[in-house]
Amino acid sequence: MASEIWTEKFRPSQFSEVVGQDGIVKRVESLTNSMNIPHLLFAGPAGTGKSTLALIIVKSLYGKSWKDNYLELNASDERGINIVREKVKNFARTKSLGNVPFKVIFLDEADALTPEAQQALRRTMENYSSTCRFILSCNYSSKIIDPIQSRCVILRFKLLERKDIERVIYRIAENEDLTIAPDSIETLYEASEGDCRRCINILQSTASISPSITSELVSTIISNTRPKDIRVVLDYALSGDFQKSREKLLDIMLKESISGQDVIKAIQKEIWNLPVEPEIKVRLTEKTGEVEFRIVEGSDPFIQLESLLAGFVLAGLGK
Amino acid sequence: MPWTEKHRPKIFDEVKGQSPAVGKVMEFLRNFPSRKKAIILHGPPGTGKTTLAHVAANESGAEIFELNASDFRGKNKLDEVLKPALEQQPLVKKGKIILVDEADGISGFEDRGGISELLRLIELSNYPIIITANDVWQKKLAPLRKKSELVQLKEIDYKTIKSILIGILKKENKFIENDVLTRIAINAKGDLRAAVNDLQTAAGIEKSEISKISFDERNKEIDIFNALRAVFKGNPVNDTLRVFDSVNMPIDEIILWIEENIPLEYKGEELAKAYDLLSRVDIFKGRIYKQQYWRFLVYENILLSYGISASKNPSIISRGNFTSYRKPSRILKIWLNNQRTAKKKSIAMKYAKYVHIGEKRAMAEFPIIRQIIKSNQKIQKELKLDEEEIAYLKKH
Repeated sequence: MASEIWTEKFRPSQFSEVVGQDGIVKRVESLTNSMNIPHLLFAGPAGTGKSTLALIIVKSLYGKSWKDNYLELNASDERGINIVREKVKNFARTKSLGNVPFKVIFLDEADALTPEAQQALRRTMENYSSTCRFILSCNYSSKIIDPIQSRCVILRFKLLERKDIERVIYRIAENEDLTIAPDSIETLYEASEGDCRRCINILQSTASISPSITSELVSTIISNTRPKDIRVVLDYALSGDFQKSREKLLDIMLKESISGQDVIKAIQKEIWNLPVEPEIKVRLTEKTGEVEFRIVEGSDPFIQLESLLAGFVLAGLGK
Repeated sequence: MPWTEKHRPKIFDEVKGQSPAVGKVMEFLRNFPSRKKAIILHGPPGTGKTTLAHVAANESGAEIFELNASDFRGKNKLDEVLKPALEQQPLVKKGKIILVDEADGISGFEDRGGISELLRLIELSNYPIIITANDVWQKKLAPLRKKSELVQLKEIDYKTIKSILIGILKKENKFIENDVLTRIAINAKGDLRAAVNDLQTAAGIEKSEISKISFDERNKEIDIFNALRAVFKGNPVNDTLRVFDSVNMPIDEIILWIEENIPLEYKGEELAKAYDLLSRVDIFKGRIYKQQYWRFLVYENILLSYGISASKNPSIISRGNFTSYRKPSRILKIWLNNQRTAKKKSIAMKYAKYVHIGEKRAMAEFPIIRQIIKSNQKIQKELKLDEEEIAYLKKH
């Protein structure tokens, strides 16, 4: 039975269906055809086909019995490297079924592991290299320690281009009887930011309202899903009412469980609409970037955002 | 109104635990003008120096004219301030008492003679001058000691403090268990103001919470209140570095207390400075965890105590006596919201597993995903959502 979730339903199941990553696909396909793959490191932004390609690899290697020979883990969801090792150990203990002499472990978001945890992972990779192949995926290969990089073939995924997104949209539209207004392609592409999964989700979300996809409808759907009230938070801060601003921020982050990174993104965009001097906009943007960096590095998002809001209080005083 | 203000003694009889000092002040005023025109009340904080001055004025029907350290910055400044006091006659004919509060704060030499300005005042004045100081034996106060009578106020013993606290509770119609009172009184170490502040804090904790918090917990909170007060109200001095030593609480929790209470004390530039420092404390905290390098704790502690204290603008002198500090609310709110969003999380988990993405990503994209799942019952079945989860989708 085909899935009703379009990201699954239209997930490429053959190498030829993958869009936007031509070079990579050819290399991986020839490796897979030799029935022997090295450890792989997939680096690239979200929604560019990393998990999809891993799934295609295991399906072509094992055919119907792929589920028995494939373990999918997400490093940012597992609590610590020890859990990862335990799962790997249990999975790798039994021999692979069929005529491929190894099993495949896909570790998504491997860059969420600390350098120490990656060292432990490296040991695990070595211990089971006779029975398992690892496919690691990450957003930035620079966050993967050198010893792991040197053990893997590194493949870099690109953001999807407009023409790729367009191809995906039309393929879905044909299957789902959607009419696509030409200008909605641009809107979808911009909202997707080159992320195919996001593009398809927005499309399905829009189609759940009406099968005739227009630019306006897409925009409405997107604006409904953006963190609201960020402007209110900033307005309170600019007017000097830090307390209210702080409360509102906590509210937004908790009630909608919006991550610090999403809040920061929204703030960065909102700065341009604020009634402050150009010079202050630049300063606020710089500070916002610094705070985003810290949050990405693992600081407490709320404390970091508070320090940013205090900066907006100063901006409100013209400083 | 802070209880330290509300219940400040008005008459000599109400001043407890300082009988010798009270006697000396009364005598000084009765015999004025005698050989010396000034009297220095010295002793640790919270022993009643300022109170005693005000009571003395009240009892002798005099008007208090108060000066503080900033009035002694430069010659002209003092003249300007004093002129009205020395020349104008009060509406009702009354005497005057000049009170120089916290003479420790007057600079010795840096400001070119704050102290010599004070000496000049003693020379010129026709009114009795009461000076208060924590440490009268500092070198810079030596010339002042010669010109003044010295009266020492001792730390108030805990039994006296306790009886004063009970008196206040009676007037406030509040009840606090005996053992808590004893602890507050001992904990104050002779500082009545600290004890009364603690009392007000303890009385402000909701009854339902008191029953939930174990006694040690409450005691701990009183410690953190003292530490917060020292950081936010006090000047940054070397002792500030140690304020959190006596607080029986992990530093991560202290960070939350500071985070919650900065906006109650600081505004504008001070606020920005303090939060900037706090964000740096948080960075060091992250570095400790990441690299297991515990020496970074030193920086965490210095920035959190001295740094936050030094964020205040030194030209704002009066900061109010009492701030009712708040418990960190974030943790509780996070917990409450986790309860509320538990269903959302379980939906996101099922979805994430199904479409090969991380849970965090599913949570981040939930607004779009929700619309897709909500509008299609087949998807709900496909993901094996239970009834509660479906109900959650309908509601939100």
